[in-house]
Amino acid sequence: MHPLVVQYRAVVVKEVRQTARDRRVMALITLAPLVQLFMLGFAVNFDVRHVPTVVVDRDKTAESRDYARSQLAGDTLDLKAEVSDELAAEEALERGEASVALIFPRDFQKDLLRGHGAQVQALVDGSDPTRSSVAANAVAQYAVLKAMQLARAQAQAQGETPPRSPVELVPRVLYNPELSTSVYVVPGIAAMLLLIVTTVIMAMGLSRERETGTLEQLQVTPLRPGILMAGKVTPFLLIGLVDVGLALSVGAWVFKVPLRGSLTLVAVATLFYLLSTLGVGLLIATVSRTQQQAFVGGFLFVLPAVLLSGVMSPIRAMPGWLAWLTYLNPVRYYVEVLRGVLLKEAGLPDLWRQVLALAVFGALMMAVASRRFHKTSA
Amino acid sequence: MTPAIEVHHLTRRFGDFTAVDDVSFEVGAGEIFGYLGANGAGKSTTIRMLCGLLKPTGGSARVAGFDVDKEPERVKAGIGYMSQKFSLYLDLSVRANLEFFASAYGAHGRELETRIGEMVERMQLGAVQDEVTGALPGGMQQRIALASAVLHRPRIVFLDEPTAGVDPVQRRSFWELIRDLASRGTTVFVTTHYMDEAENCARIGIMVDGKLVALDTPEGLKRTHAPGRVLEVRGPRLAPALDSLRGMAGVLDVSRFGSGATVRVDPERLPAESLAEWLRARGVDPLEMEDSAPTLDDVFLALTARAQRGED
Repeated sequence: MHPLVVQYRAVVVKEVRQTARDRRVMALITLAPLVQLFMLGFAVNFDVRHVPTVVVDRDKTAESRDYARSQLAGDTLDLKAEVSDELAAEEALERGEASVALIFPRDFQKDLLRGHGAQVQALVDGSDPTRSSVAANAVAQYAVLKAMQLARAQAQAQGETPPRSPVELVPRVLYNPELSTSVYVVPGIAAMLLLIVTTVIMAMGLSRERETGTLEQLQVTPLRPGILMAGKVTPFLLIGLVDVGLALSVGAWVFKVPLRGSLTLVAVATLFYLLSTLGVGLLIATVSRTQQQAFVGGFLFVLPAVLLSGVMSPIRAMPGWLAWLTYLNPVRYYVEVLRGVLLKEAGLPDLWRQVLALAVFGALMMAVASRRFHKTSA
Repeated sequence: MTPAIEVHHLTRRFGDFTAVDDVSFEVGAGEIFGYLGANGAGKSTTIRMLCGLLKPTGGSARVAGFDVDKEPERVKAGIGYMSQKFSLYLDLSVRANLEFFASAYGAHGRELETRIGEMVERMQLGAVQDEVTGALPGGMQQRIALASAVLHRPRIVFLDEPTAGVDPVQRRSFWELIRDLASRGTTVFVTTHYMDEAENCARIGIMVDGKLVALDTPEGLKRTHAPGRVLEVRGPRLAPALDSLRGMAGVLDVSRFGSGATVRVDPERLPAESLAEWLRARGVDPLEMEDSAPTLDDVFLALTARAQRGED
């Protein structure tokens, strides 16, 4: 056997033995990601439903009650309480008991039946922009619908043919027809968990060797930095692949994330992605003296990498210069690959840029880490 | 035969601080060479340069026939290194450690088995080879560390304070292992600050503030740097008497320890009897006085004292 192969195998075996013996690390790389995926999959939910609403009905007529009932019939707005006046409604919004208030003025029915421009006032708590815009949309949509219905009924009553709307919208949602947040968010969370676990474990593993002096012992052996790095990374590449498999299974069973495209493509992209995250971990370890520093360093990388990846907030919504930064972030590409393959059945022709970016990033990180390691040891 | 280690004007600076200052020496094949010095005297820095862990800022060194600066990888293949930290994987079994370090030097298959088997027997590790290394006592870890450092049968082994923090009984049995290694032809380069251990070395280099201030056999060092007789004295009112003793004709060195002191004298100029008389006259009575041979401690104290006085 070639000495390099012997050395590489020695490092791999040693890493596997150490990892298998360390219960905390084992829990960190197997159980923790699954539990977190499970919890975060439920917790991170952008679906706006059951917005608490108070109603002020100064008209108290059949029409006002009917309007309120129909408006609240869907699951976007829920009736929280009926209150007596605007002041009470505002207080409810202020205290956070309700996010929307619907106010029917006196003469609502009269104006409505006369076709006189009946008014409904809606107060919306704008502190959560996503929630308030969805709620305001629901209110506006219903008002338009009601107006159309009334116009049609009036025309029919007068024996005319009901007017048709000049434009009719027929929306069809592709890939995620139920607009479920989980389907969109779970692949992102999987990428994030993989990033945290692999970066931190690698950074701390190497700096532990520095702390205990075994790194110095390795440096007097003929073991080359490249071989050492490759051997250290290998077991975690395999563990990471298994983690992704587990995450996709949980995603499919619990959150109904579809698995449409090629899993081979996912596996290849995952390997490159892990090479990047593990490489960053090694790089962090080369600039840290202690495990504590490595841990902090790991988080200084992980946090912005997650925030600038499109996992939590869309990249399109970021200002230009910040969006540009995301091109330097492997998490971005990996999330694009995962979402593309899983949801849209995208293949290599659609995603080769992302896969290439991950491969380049991975190779670069490993090379830089090896180089830096060489320098710090000399 | 070419020397195992050749060092010429080796220098290492860290910023303004010169850790190793223009050091030159040679170590012969199969020799046990002791490298002595206080903490921070430059012992570890020298070893780190000789092992290819640290680049010299000046001078050169050849170890196992290769230049440490130009061919560090070839140097590494020919040497073993054991640091005072006993750098082992404490979470792995003894055997796993030995297997790892043997394979790091390229051993595999039957050869790996033979070498580990042989080392386990020589270092008497048979009973503990499946134990977790971290659970074993210090003396045992020390032997495992030595085993890991010489598994690949290096020509030269560097031991950086290998007995730090180990009890005297185990230190003695560890030195038997070192002598055994040397008798098989391995060159041993060992640093220590235990002077009694240094007596085991064929030759000793003494470092003070980055400079190699003396290099000789233990006997030669004592002859040159701690000549005369050493008298251990004890008695009442010793302290004031000692102060006036310094500078007296024939007194070479006075150093206190505990309640007593050691006085090194030139017997030609100051016989022990005259000293005793002189001390009794100053109220040190009853006086206890014991004759002993100079030790490396005396050599070391004399050399460091001289360096502090700024002499050369």
